[in-house]
Amino acid sequence: MENQREITTIQAGAILSSTIIGVGVLPIPLFAVRGADSGAPLVTVCGVLFAFLGLFLITRLGMRFPDRSITQYGEEIIGKWLSRLGSAAVIGFFAVLTSLAAREFGEVVITSVLTKTPLEVTVIVMLTLAAISTRNNITTFAYIHQFYFPLLIGPALLIVALSLKNAEAINLQPIWGNSHEGMLASVLTIAALFQGSFIITTVIPAMRRPQTAMKASVFALLISGGLYVTIVAATVSVFGSEETKNLLWPTLELAKATSLPANILERLDAAFLAVWVTAVFTTLNSSYFLAVKEMSKLFRLKDHKLFTFFLLPAVFSMAMVPRNILNMYEIIQNVSRIGLFVTVVYPGLLLVVSVLRKKRGETSEKRSAT
Amino acid sequence: MFRKRKRNRQQTENVQAAPPSMEELKQVRLNGDLEKAVELIRGVLGMNDDFTVRRFQAFGKYPAAMFFYPNMIDMSTLNSEILKPLMYGPPHADVIPDGGDKLRDFLLSETLYHSDIRSEELVSKTIGDILRGQTAVVIEGVEGAILFGTRTIDKRGIDQPATEQVIRGPREGFIELLSTNISLIRYRLQTPDLRVKTMDIGRRTQSKVAVCSMEGITNPDLVAEVVRRLEQIDVDAILDSGYLEQYIEDNQMSPFPQVQYTERPDKVVANLLEGRVAIIVDGSPLALVVPTVFSQFYQTVEDYTERFLMMSAIRWARLVALVFSLVFPSLYVAIISFNPELIPTEFAVAVAGGRAGVPFPAIIEVLVIEVSMEVLREATIRLPQQVGGALSIVGVLVVGQAAVAAGFASPITVVIIALTTIGSFATPAYNAALALRLLRFPLIVLAGIFGLYGVMIGLILIANHLLSLRSFGVPYLSPLVPGVLNGMKDLFVRGPLWWMKARPKLLFPGDSSRIGAQMVEDLKAPPNNVLDPKKQNDGREEN
Repeated sequence: MENQREITTIQAGAILSSTIIGVGVLPIPLFAVRGADSGAPLVTVCGVLFAFLGLFLITRLGMRFPDRSITQYGEEIIGKWLSRLGSAAVIGFFAVLTSLAAREFGEVVITSVLTKTPLEVTVIVMLTLAAISTRNNITTFAYIHQFYFPLLIGPALLIVALSLKNAEAINLQPIWGNSHEGMLASVLTIAALFQGSFIITTVIPAMRRPQTAMKASVFALLISGGLYVTIVAATVSVFGSEETKNLLWPTLELAKATSLPANILERLDAAFLAVWVTAVFTTLNSSYFLAVKEMSKLFRLKDHKLFTFFLLPAVFSMAMVPRNILNMYEIIQNVSRIGLFVTVVYPGLLLVVSVLRKKRGETSEKRSAT
Repeated sequence: MFRKRKRNRQQTENVQAAPPSMEELKQVRLNGDLEKAVELIRGVLGMNDDFTVRRFQAFGKYPAAMFFYPNMIDMSTLNSEILKPLMYGPPHADVIPDGGDKLRDFLLSETLYHSDIRSEELVSKTIGDILRGQTAVVIEGVEGAILFGTRTIDKRGIDQPATEQVIRGPREGFIELLSTNISLIRYRLQTPDLRVKTMDIGRRTQSKVAVCSMEGITNPDLVAEVVRRLEQIDVDAILDSGYLEQYIEDNQMSPFPQVQYTERPDKVVANLLEGRVAIIVDGSPLALVVPTVFSQFYQTVEDYTERFLMMSAIRWARLVALVFSLVFPSLYVAIISFNPELIPTEFAVAVAGGRAGVPFPAIIEVLVIEVSMEVLREATIRLPQQVGGALSIVGVLVVGQAAVAAGFASPITVVIIALTTIGSFATPAYNAALALRLLRFPLIVLAGIFGLYGVMIGLILIANHLLSLRSFGVPYLSPLVPGVLNGMKDLFVRGPLWWMKARPKLLFPGDSSRIGAQMVEDLKAPPNNVLDPKKQNDGREEN
């Protein structure tokens, strides 16, 4: 099972982008306008660039050790105990990320569609769905992401295209934005939305040609970053930056404001949310898979299925910690900034140390040659 | 184990009275003693009243006996081509050898003019062949028995395949007899590369199973794996290829079929040429084709016999029907009960008006109508054709109309269910349609509980399951996922035949190209307008 090397570059790219595109699409215009008003697209671009730094580090590391993931090569680079601590932090962080994403989407669902359903039900349904799907092996995991990839891009682009008739280019000017006080915070928050791309560390050992991982990363970041920038630009151009600040989920409002030509569907928000379930599912599936898979590697187990349901109660109870939506977003912001240490600083440290100590994993060609 | 021991005990209890069983006869040989042979064979088969032993004198001097089941053989052949020369002796022979091997060779090479003939020494094999409808002759002083292939089983004629009719394409379907079915394949595929391997499966039925593949095209590992899975089957009876299917498929718990069945020889040939393996069972008119991917279930033979543009459009219609039959009722339930704001206001008002008198929530209404539709469908399948028409009129028209008039269901619900049912009939493969029909019900329930969100959850579960399925290692949703560019030419559209130069890549065929490169070049050349009036007139003037 561990030696399956079937994932192609395109599949790896699809995994990355569908992991990145998640529930964050709904509030991202809000995060962006908080930073620099009409400069929101620019803030998003900065966020994407910052996120690429993290992804670059982890991909580089993965390509240095093409047969292993972060829990395994960490031990070789900085020693057993330090790396175990780091791996535990990674696993814990992604478990928290899973729970927060499930909670966030649960809030969206009970606020906009299923107003009478208890929050716990929607959260547990989403988490169970992710847990069941995590029981597959990594090849099926890749298939799942490849299959849903068009479903994520299509509806989002459709909403953007349909909203263009209400768009005003003046809303996007000045491109530079008016005030830049909260800009750094916004950039970090947006960069944190890309943390799911950490999944590449689990994917690389299963890639057919690990040396193309960087290509997959760039491709994925271009697609997901491009989509995010497009959505931010569309939302701001339709609502204007001041109005966007008053909306909790501006993208959802954008969907509400548009309708299909010929009046086939009068409103798109419920349909958009329904399709968006897949996006959230792929994100949850990835972060859960990452946590479970790395956990099994940390404990040196061959099969990761043991932890899938074992982790579920913990993740669920963490999802229930925030008291309400406002509290939840506060926690999400704090957690994701702490997460930047885990997903950017820790891999960066590992990379620097591995370069200094000249540690390098065997490439698959060398292994097959011996 | 326990059962086996029990049977052994029973055998030992009866041993004083009963003659030796088949197990004990495994190694016993026929040594030329006629009385002994008659006793042995009678001991096993003689309890049946339809078993016949005919004693006669071969060439007027050697006592002999003939064993056969008269209902399974062709009597006139037996009389004129076997019994007659045996009793008369050949007119051209001067000396008849005195028994032993010489006599047997004389019989086989000079006397008997029957083409399917061989000699067999083991009693158990002789008995097995008699059971299959062969005739055995034992002659005093000749070792072993001579077996004649006299089997003639009454069979029905070759008709149109009932479940896979086409407007354009061959009209032959398989019948129950294995030999006829193999001949139907062989005359379409006149190449020495067609390999047929047969084996007997089923402890009691001893059903003959043929595994067909193409040498040089089919991956040898695939053939070996199919044979391995078949050889593992150790059951009492294989009465139809459906029994085999359930033993060889990869995931038995899945609602989706992972083996395709067909009653069309041309479809089997097409699949063999793609690098798949066909399995045919004696007694079943349905051949199995493995490995199977999902896209095969909405493709038909006609897709390839008619021109590609039309058939691509029709394939889309079929895909729409497929989606209809799965999600339509659940979408209806979700929109009516949770998100009526999605549909245009006028229509929403009309729907609400139609539902005004209905006392149940939409989910109950849809479930009740769906279940009654299933009952109706099941009833029409069982009924004789003459009554079937009447029942469908009463069932669909009268009951449907009355249900609406009585305020039991809204008219729009009836429309939705009707569309769904028709949609499920438009799926060419019955077993795939069945899976979607079944999965519709959990989706309706999910839609009733969680609305569109629930429908999506259900669809994600189904899709994830499909993505995790494999048939003999081939991913079930290929060539969509994992994407194979060449395979996509025959996925949502049916590309022109000359586009599909290569056989499906994921079957790892031995020889992957099926179209000559030169021919594709020739196709691109401008057409030669021989009857262009200008050309014709120019030619005439010159003359």
